[in-house]
Amino acid sequence: MPSTRRNEAVRKAAAVTVVVLLVSAVALAVALAPEPPAGPRWAAAGHDGPTRGGTLVVHHESDIRGLDPQRAFDELSFMAIRLLFDGLLDYDDEGRLVPSLAEALPEQSDDGRTFRFTLRRGIRFHNGRELVADDVRWSLEHMLRPETGSPGYSFYKKIAGVEELRQGSAEHIRGIRVLDARTFEITLTDPDQTFLNSMAMTFAYPVAREGYDAPHADAAQPPPGTGPFRLVEWERGYRLVFRRNDDYWRPGEPNIDRLVFLLNLARGIAAMRFRNGDIDHLHSLTPADYLFFKRSDAWHPYTVERATGDVYGIAMNCGMPPFDDVHLRRAVAFAIDREGWSRARANRLRPTGQPLPPGLLGYDEALSERQTSDLRRAREEMRLAGHPDGLEDEVDYWLGAGETGRFYGELAMQDLARIGIRLRLKQVSAATYFEETGKRGTAQSLLAGWSQDFPDPADFLDILFHTDSIHDRDSENRAFYSNPELDGLLDEARVEQDRDRRREMYERASNIVAHDAPWAFVFNSLRFEIWQPYVRNYQPNMVWANDYRRVWLDLPRRRLALRYGLRGPHGQLAALFPWRR
Amino acid sequence: MKGSFLSTAVSILPADPRAWRRFRRNKGAIAGAALVALVTGTAFLGPIVAPHDPAEQKREVLLHLDGTPAAPSEVTGYPLGADSIGRDELSRLLHGGKVSLQVAFLATGLAVLIGLIVGIFTGYFGRWVDFAGMRVVDVLLSLPFLLVAIAVKRVVDSPGLWGLYLILGLLSWTTLARVTRAKTMQVRELEFIQATRALGMSHGRIIFRHVLPNVLGPAIVIGTTMVAHMIIAESAMSYLGLGVTPPEASWGSMLREGEDLLSHAPRLVVYPGLLIMATVFGFNLMGEGLRDAFDPKE
Repeated sequence: MPSTRRNEAVRKAAAVTVVVLLVSAVALAVALAPEPPAGPRWAAAGHDGPTRGGTLVVHHESDIRGLDPQRAFDELSFMAIRLLFDGLLDYDDEGRLVPSLAEALPEQSDDGRTFRFTLRRGIRFHNGRELVADDVRWSLEHMLRPETGSPGYSFYKKIAGVEELRQGSAEHIRGIRVLDARTFEITLTDPDQTFLNSMAMTFAYPVAREGYDAPHADAAQPPPGTGPFRLVEWERGYRLVFRRNDDYWRPGEPNIDRLVFLLNLARGIAAMRFRNGDIDHLHSLTPADYLFFKRSDAWHPYTVERATGDVYGIAMNCGMPPFDDVHLRRAVAFAIDREGWSRARANRLRPTGQPLPPGLLGYDEALSERQTSDLRRAREEMRLAGHPDGLEDEVDYWLGAGETGRFYGELAMQDLARIGIRLRLKQVSAATYFEETGKRGTAQSLLAGWSQDFPDPADFLDILFHTDSIHDRDSENRAFYSNPELDGLLDEARVEQDRDRRREMYERASNIVAHDAPWAFVFNSLRFEIWQPYVRNYQPNMVWANDYRRVWLDLPRRRLALRYGLRGPHGQLAALFPWRR
Repeated sequence: MKGSFLSTAVSILPADPRAWRRFRRNKGAIAGAALVALVTGTAFLGPIVAPHDPAEQKREVLLHLDGTPAAPSEVTGYPLGADSIGRDELSRLLHGGKVSLQVAFLATGLAVLIGLIVGIFTGYFGRWVDFAGMRVVDVLLSLPFLLVAIAVKRVVDSPGLWGLYLILGLLSWTTLARVTRAKTMQVRELEFIQATRALGMSHGRIIFRHVLPNVLGPAIVIGTTMVAHMIIAESAMSYLGLGVTPPEASWGSMLREGEDLLSHAPRLVVYPGLLIMATVFGFNLMGEGLRDAFDPKE
C-alpha cells in the first residue's frame, strides 16, 4: 500500500513537471519569437542605371506543366517559355503589337489576306545555329500537325492549307511561302484582324527542329530557342533555374545572370519568405497577406495593382428555362450588388457591367447599355418577365470547387434572393464544371470567367457570345446565346482594318451583349504585385502575367554576400536569424 | 405487446447496476458529461437563440471599406463580430454546432449499429460467418479514411450531409465490431448461455436477452469516444470542402473559411476551434469515465 501511494506521488510530480515545462517552453517561444520585419529588409544600393548580375528568385503556387511552347497553355508555362523563346511579334507595356524577331510589323496585302514577314539578321538558337525563315515554317507546320496535339491549333486554322496538312493530304502548308532566308509570306483563307495576335502567341514561337528530332526521353523538355535565358536545371515540382544567354540578340539584355522559379510554393509561405528577403517578386497573395502589404507604407513604392485582361460574371443559359427570358436575365444583371461583392472580397475585384475588360478596343467606361446594380430596375424586370414575386423553383448555379468559388456562390445567392430567385449551388470539381457547363441544355446558370489569350475584343466577344461557339459539347458560349445581328457585326468587325470603325463596331456589340444579358457581368479581377526595392525596372505587362526580361538588380552588398555564400560565422548566423541585421 | 417491448428494452441495458454508481463518483466523468450536456444543449437550442440569420451577409454593416470583417468591438449587436463576407459570427457558431453534433451522433449511431450487429453475429456464430465478417473488417481497416472520403467526393460531386453521415458511419464501425466480437465469444461460452441453449431458447432470444446486455457496456464506451472522433472527422471533412453545402455553417467549415484571414482576424478560427476542442474533450472525459465504470479491473 505505501509503495503504491509513493508511486502515485512520483507520477503526479512528474506529470506536473512535464506540464510546467511544456507551458513555459511555449511561453518562452512566444515571448522570444522575433517579429518578421514590417518593411523591406534590404534597400536598393542606389545605382542609377542597369547593372549586370545577380539572381532573381520568383515563385509560383503550382507545378509547371511543360516548357514546350507548342504544347503549353497556362500562365506559368508562358512565364517560363518567354524566358527561353522569342516570338516574331510581341507586345509593349501598353499591349500594342511590336516586332520582336521580325524586323518590323509585317506588310499586309490590300485584300488583308497576305502578311509578309522579314526576320532580323544574326539571330541564333541556343545551340548556335542561325534562325532562318524555313525554321519559322517548320515550327508552324510542326505545331499544326495533329500528332503534336497543340492546344493552340484553332488560332491558326485560317492559314490557307492547314486542313490539308492536318488531314494528311499535303506535306506542307500551302499558305506559308518562304521567299528567302529571312523573308516569308503567310496567306489566310479570309482576312482576319486577330491573326497577328495569334502570331504573337507562344504557340507560334520559332523553335529549333533539332530539339524534336532526337527521340525525347521527356516530351516536356524544351527544344532550343532564341530567348534571353537558357534552362540550366529543372527539378520536378521544386524549381527551375535559368542562366543568362550571353549571345542574346537584344543589346544589353538581359541584366540578371540567373533566374530561379520556385514551384509548388503555397501563397502564405511565399509571402513569409518574401518578407524575409528570400524571394524577390510576389504575385499571388492570401487575403491576409494582401491586406498587410496593401496597408504597409514601407512597401507601397514597390507595389502595383492593376486589372488583368479578364471578365467574370454569372452566365445564364439562354437555351433553357428560366433564363430563356431576356427580362429575367436583365433582372439578374441589375440585382447583383457589385460593390458589395468587391467589398466582401477585400476590394480585390473591379466591378464592371460590360463584356470587355478596360484597355481593350470597344471598352467604354460610360457604355450606354452597361449593366448597373439597381434593385428597383431588377424588380421592374422581374415584373416584365411575369414573375413579380420571384420564381417558384430553385435555379442551379454551377461553380468550381474551392473556397473562392464557394464565396461567390454565397454572394450571388443572397443578391438574387432579394428578387425572389433562389439559387441551388452546384459546386463541383473543375473538370466536371467545364464538361457539364459546356453541354447544351445542362447548366441553368454558372459562375463564368474568361481570361484573354491576346488583347483583342474578338477574343472575348467571338468566343463567348458568337453562335459559332455553340456546340453540343465543349461549347465556349456557355450561355448558349445566339443573336444573328451580333454574329453579323462580329464577323464584320473581325476583318475591319480601320481601327476607329472597328472600335465603334465593338462598342455596338458590347451594348447588344450588355442589354441582352446572357451574362450578368460582375467584375474584372485585380492583380496585386510586389517586389523587393532592389528589383528595378519591373514593368507589369498588359498581356504577359509576369515579364522578367528587362529587370535588373540593384543589390546591396550585404545581400549579395548572403546569397552567394559569404560563409563563415556571420553569414550563417545571419541566415539563421535573417531578420536580425 | 407494448409492455413486452419495454421490458426487452430495459432488460438489454448493461447488466451491472454498480457501474452507474462508479460513474457518478468519477469527477472527471461528471465534468465531461456536464460539458457534453452544455455543448449539446447549446447546439440544439442555438438556432433558436441565435440573434441573426446565420446566412445573411450584412455587407454594409459588417464589412469595412477595405473589405475586412468588423471586429466585435466595432459593431453593436454582434458580440463576436463578423466573418469574412459579413455574416454574424455568433449566429454561425450557434447554428454550426447543430450540424457538427448531428453528423457526429448520426454517424456514430450508424457505426455502433453496424458494429454491434457484425460483432455479435461473428462472435456468436463463429465459423464462416466469423471469417467473412472479419475479412470485411480487415479490408475496411486497411483503407485510409480521408482517401475514401475524397474518392467518394470525386464520384458524387456534392454528397451533402447525408453523404457525410454515411461515409463516416460506414467506415468507422470496425473497431467496435472487433471488440464486440471478442466479448461475445467470451460470453457465448459462459454457463448461463449454455443453460439457455440447453433449455431450447432460439438464437435470436439468446442474442437479444443474454448476449446483447453483456456486450453493450464496451459498445457504449467506444461509442462515446467515437462521437469525439466523429466531430474531428466532420471538421476535417468540412475543412476539405466535403461537408455542409453553403451557406450552411458547421464548425469545421468555419475553420476553413477563417483560414484565409488567419493572421488578420484569428478569432474566425479560434472560436470554432475552441468549441470543437471543448466538445471533443467533454466526450473523451465522459468516455473514459464510462470505461472505468463498466470495467473497473483496468
